[in-house]
Order: sequence, then C-alpha cells, then structure tokens
Amino acid sequence: MAAKRPIAFDACHATVPAALFAGAVALSMLAVHPVCVAVSLVGALLFSLLARGGAATARGLAWQLPLLTLVCLLNPLFSASGSTLLFKLGPRSVYLESLAYGATMGGLMVAVVLWFEGAAVVLTQDRLLALAPRRARTLPLLLGMAFQLVPQLLGRSRKVRATLSACTAAGARPGVREALTRTSSMLLTWSLEESIERADSMRARGWESGLPRTSYRPERLRPRDAAALCGIAALLALCSVCAWEACSAWRFYPTIRGLAPWWCLAPLAVLAFLPSGAELVARLRERGRR
Amino acid sequence: MSALQLDRVSFAYAGAEKPVLLDACLEVAEGAFALLTGATGSGKSTLLRLAKPELAPKGELRGVVRVFGSDTSALGARDSARTVGYVSQSPDAQMVCDTVWHEMAFGLENLGVPEPEMRRRVAETCNFLGIEPWFRMRVSELSGGQRQTLALAAALAMRPRLLLLDEPTSMLDPIAEKNFLSLLFRANRELGITVVVATHAPHAMADYATCAFALEGGRVREAPLDDVRRPEPCDTRLCDTRLRPLCHVLRLEDVWYRYGRDARWVLRALDLEVRAGEVRALVGSNGCGKSTLLQVVAGVLKPRRGRARNALAAGQALLPQSPKALLARETVLDELMEWSRGGGYGRAEAEAALATLGLAEDPGRHPYDLSGGQQQLLALEKLLLVKPRLLLLDEPTKGLDRPARERMARRLAAAASDGATVLLATHDMAFVNAVAGSVSLMFDGGITATEPTDEFLRESWLYRA
Repeated sequence: MAAKRPIAFDACHATVPAALFAGAVALSMLAVHPVCVAVSLVGALLFSLLARGGAATARGLAWQLPLLTLVCLLNPLFSASGSTLLFKLGPRSVYLESLAYGATMGGLMVAVVLWFEGAAVVLTQDRLLALAPRRARTLPLLLGMAFQLVPQLLGRSRKVRATLSACTAAGARPGVREALTRTSSMLLTWSLEESIERADSMRARGWESGLPRTSYRPERLRPRDAAALCGIAALLALCSVCAWEACSAWRFYPTIRGLAPWWCLAPLAVLAFLPSGAELVARLRERGRR
Repeated sequence: MSALQLDRVSFAYAGAEKPVLLDACLEVAEGAFALLTGATGSGKSTLLRLAKPELAPKGELRGVVRVFGSDTSALGARDSARTVGYVSQSPDAQMVCDTVWHEMAFGLENLGVPEPEMRRRVAETCNFLGIEPWFRMRVSELSGGQRQTLALAAALAMRPRLLLLDEPTSMLDPIAEKNFLSLLFRANRELGITVVVATHAPHAMADYATCAFALEGGRVREAPLDDVRRPEPCDTRLCDTRLRPLCHVLRLEDVWYRYGRDARWVLRALDLEVRAGEVRALVGSNGCGKSTLLQVVAGVLKPRRGRARNALAAGQALLPQSPKALLARETVLDELMEWSRGGGYGRAEAEAALATLGLAEDPGRHPYDLSGGQQQLLALEKLLLVKPRLLLLDEPTKGLDRPARERMARRLAAAASDGATVLLATHDMAFVNAVAGSVSLMFDGGITATEPTDEFLRESWLYRA
C-alpha cells in the first residue's frame, strides 16, 4: 500500500522536518484538550500509515491501543473526580469526566509515540546528528560511536554465546549467571582492545592536532528551506496561541465544558495534517512526472 | 628525495630487554611501492609506527627516522597527519564515524580544512576509488572489504605523500584482497603516493611492488621481488586423503536456512554427507553461506526446512572466525584450563599445550597480548584439549603467517589421525591441499561438487594450491 520510505522531506534540509515534528510533538504534549489530542492523533496516524506503511503501523497499534485503553480505564480508579456518576466499582466511584480525562491522556501518549515513530523514519540518525550546533561538533561523533557500539555488542554477544553452545565437547554449560559474567567480561575486553586501535586511527588522521575543527555538512540550508522554516515557525506560534486559548477555556472537572470556537482549533488541524499532506502532494507530483 | 629513510635505527620497547630493531637502515624512494616482510613479531608494525610520530610506540629510540627529509621526532601532529597516511589491519576497529561520508571527512575536519575544499577532496577521492554509490551508506552496512577500502579512502582524502599500511589485507578474503590491492596500486601509480606495506603474505602484492625489504633479527635487508613472488606453500601432505569406508556422522538433507522471514535464502536445498574421521574443506566465495552451514551443523542454527543430523553433536567444538569469541580468561594458562572440569583434563595437559604453543615460559601472559596468529592457535589448543570428535573450523588460517599456518596444519592432522572428524571453511587452497581429504564447493546456497582434494584441485579452473 504505502511506500517504505517517505519522500516529502528528502529534498529539504533536516531542520525543516525537525522543526515540524518537534512542534507537533510539543503541542500534542502540552495541549491537553480532547479535540486537540484527537486531531493530533489522526494526523500522526495518517502520517505513520503513509511513511511507515500499514503493516508497521498496525504492529505499533497492537500495543498502543491497549495502552490507550489501560490509561483510560485506570484514571477513574486513581482520580475519583467529576459529576456524572457512571457506576461504582467497590468503594470507588467511576465518573464520566475522569474517564474522558483518561481517554484524552491515553490518546495524547499514543499520538506522541506515533509522531516520534514518524519522525524517526524521516530524520535518520545521521541527519539528526548533523544538526548539532557548530560548537558541539564532537557530540555527534561521540553519539555516533555510542550508537554503533550497541548493535556491535549485541552481535558479538550472540557470536560468543553461539560459539560456547557449539562447543559441546567442553562439558556442561555454565549457569545463567556465570555465562552472563563470562560474556560481559569478554565483550568488555574485546571492546577495550578495539578502542586502542580506533584511538590510533583517530590520531593518525589528525585528531587532537590542535587545529580548530571544521565540519563537513552533507546538507546545505537553501533559501527554500529558510522560507519553509519561517512558515513553520509562524504556524507553530499561531498554534501555540490557539492551543492556549482552547485549553484555558476547557474544563474536565467538575463537568466537561468550554469548547473553543472552530477557528481556534483550525491551525492545530493544519499542523497535524501538514506532514501527511506534504507527503501526499510529493507523491502525486512524483507520479505526475514519471 | 627518499620518502622514508631509517638511519641506523635501534628501538627497544619500554621495559623490554631485547631491542626490536637493531641498527636498521632503510631507504624507500619517493613514488615507490615497497613491501616490508617478516614473520609475526619481527618488528614490522614498530617500524611503520616510528615513521608516524603520533602513533610511535613508547621506548628507547636511537638513530634517525626521516620522512621526506625531515626528522619525524621534529614532525608535529599536523604535519604528520598531512604528509603520512596510515591504514591498519582491522576493518572494524579503525572506523570512527557511523556514515561513509563522515568517515571520509573526519581527517579533513580535524585539520580544519575549509568546507568547500573538503567537499572537493572527498568528491575526488570517491571518484578515484569508485565508492560514490555507498557515499550515504552507514559504515555498519559495509562488508569487511568495503570498510578496508573506506579506510584507504579516508587516508587518501587527506592527500598524503606517503601511505603506510600495516597488514591491510590480512582480514580479507582473496577477492576483496585483490580489489583492495588494485586500488592501492592505482593510488601509487596514478597519484604518485609512496606506499609502504607491512605484510607477512607478500606474494599477492609482489606484482604491484617496486621493491621489497625483509626484517630479520631487527635488521632490514633488501629482498629480491622474485623471492617474494612465490606463494608460501604448505606443501607437505599431512593427512591421509583416502576416503574411508566408514559410516556417515554428518548428514544434511535438503537443508534450507535464512536469517529472517523476508531475508534471502542463505542455504537452499543443501545436501552434505561427511564420514567419520574425514577432513572436509568447504570452499566458495564470500557470503556463500559457509559460516552459516557450520552453525547449522553445530546445531546453533536450526534449519528452516530439511533435516540436519549430527551423530557427534555431544562431542563437537567450533573455532569461530574471530578467536576473541572464544578467549575468556586473563592469562593463557587460565584460558587453557577453562574447560578442564567439563573436558576431563588436568593442568599437565594444559601445560603441555602451552609448550606446543611455545608459551611454556610465559603462562601469565594475557591472550590479547598475543599476535592474531597466536590467538588463533591458542583457541585451537583450547578446543583440542577437550578432545572433540567433531571439529568445525571457520577460516582457521585467516591472518596467519607461514609458521602459524604450518603449526595449525600439523595440529589438525594430529587430531584427525586420532579419529576426529574435521569440517573447515576456508579460502586458503594451499592449506586445503595440506590437510583436507576432500573438498566441497559451495555455491548458491548448496553444495555444487564434492571431490577428493587431488581430483578437485586438478580439475579446478580457479582453485589452485
């Protein structure tokens, strides 16, 4: 159904999707308002379907929907506030308002997770790391090494365990604890040994040569990207004002009231549907040019 | 002007009694492709590192090392990084960054090269080596051969005048080795970069080299290229190569294996039969599934389809490609004693094994302080101590010099004559000729041909000892 990889943000500087997704996540987290959350959730879901495909989104929802339900059902048990009594569960009273609050919080969590998952597809690790400010150029290097280390350690630990289990002539297998100590100390020695060679490789190429470092940026900020960034900043500012208005008028307790006018929620809808809209437009244009 | 010059250089490591280099004299002309040969531990790496001050080992140095006429002790880190490039052995350990483009730019960033100039140098290096298709790939997605090419690219991007390489191809398979060497050759002839390669297997490089030097007893002597060109044979036939009329101990029928549901089949419709006491070599290109097959035989991986029967499953041992996956203790003696309880042997046997390794005097040495070849032999001894009935070996001679290869061959022959069955995956046909009774050629996930070694080598168009 959907392509494996999103294309809308391929051709722009990484700061553009970074700003857009950061804004979407921040507003989803801060605007605790059922309509805002619903809009954000639908927008995130749509983008996830487009960018990650139906199968991956469904696999995610398989744990996200139960989470939403759980938060929704647990909230009334912890906060017995509200005015519309639905039923009593032992000593606890379950109110409609606290159920609604729980559903909103659950939806908020799922929306944030979905936004992060979508952003991770667009902003691959190297694009994200290249965004580090100029003064902190060693940070991406350090993080890049750390990110490489984890899969390498996992791969090696599989090798170590596979080798041990293949050597049946060595007698009984060590216990779980002993095997764990053995594997971890082996991995530690192995990595330390390798780090010496890596340090040599760094010094051989002028690391710590005392010169101010420059940086190779694989992407350049073009006027088009700057314009897009300004547009996103303006939209985010408008959304913040509107979300503030909508949320300050809204009350869950004691009774649900204070729905803001539709125009107050419209900018939030624009923000939520912008990523999927951009993706759809990019795909249609691509198809037209083929 | 000579690119590299050693003038009566003696060097002893701090705390060591015997010097590694003793009055060594060497002169490599600018534009040369020089080979530096010698056994493991003869001081090749030490010599190279002395020409690169930021990597120079700690110890007592006498004499002068000059690079393009200037004394290296006066050469700062910047000038050294600009003039002298260095590529080491391990394709994994020398990678610093997580993406190809960043790895290539890393050295230029360190030297503060302005961005436009950096872009140009990176682009030109990519064009020269033909690695543009992987420019935006992650380093973890590259094969060992590609990583080593990337290490070369990262060094070349800095436009060095002298390139030092320490066993650059010892971890590569023969095809990756040839690719790497042809790129190195082009860098030497087309860009005029002086190349000095330290290696214990120089025959593969002899056609590219313009001169060769041998390091023996701490001294350097010029070696004729014809001497270097001959491959190192393991010519003594050590195993009884007749197929024995014994029962099959390994029987794989229609085995299919893939690593993930959506991954390609690594093994497809594979049939394999190995008799008791047989020494069988598995040959085939890189990635043809030799290691996977060994793991299926060992029972570590279960076939997705088909059956794998192993009558010796309770008494087997596996030597992995990297011996570090097997070395778990702090001293060589502890290492050999690790399986003494389960394997039913005592200290006397472990000490005898140490003596075979030539480490009887040094039982307290850390396994990581041994050379790669010695680590491999230590791992093999550790396996042989538990008297496995089935030995599975994955590239046992990778990175080994001639004495280590011969020792490995002798130990395998001894194990086989004691009745052990051996299945080994390798690219080293001279080793196959020395130890294996029969050879199976793997291709497209299956076994294409199985023949006695003599017949296989005689009939083969490609595989020669």
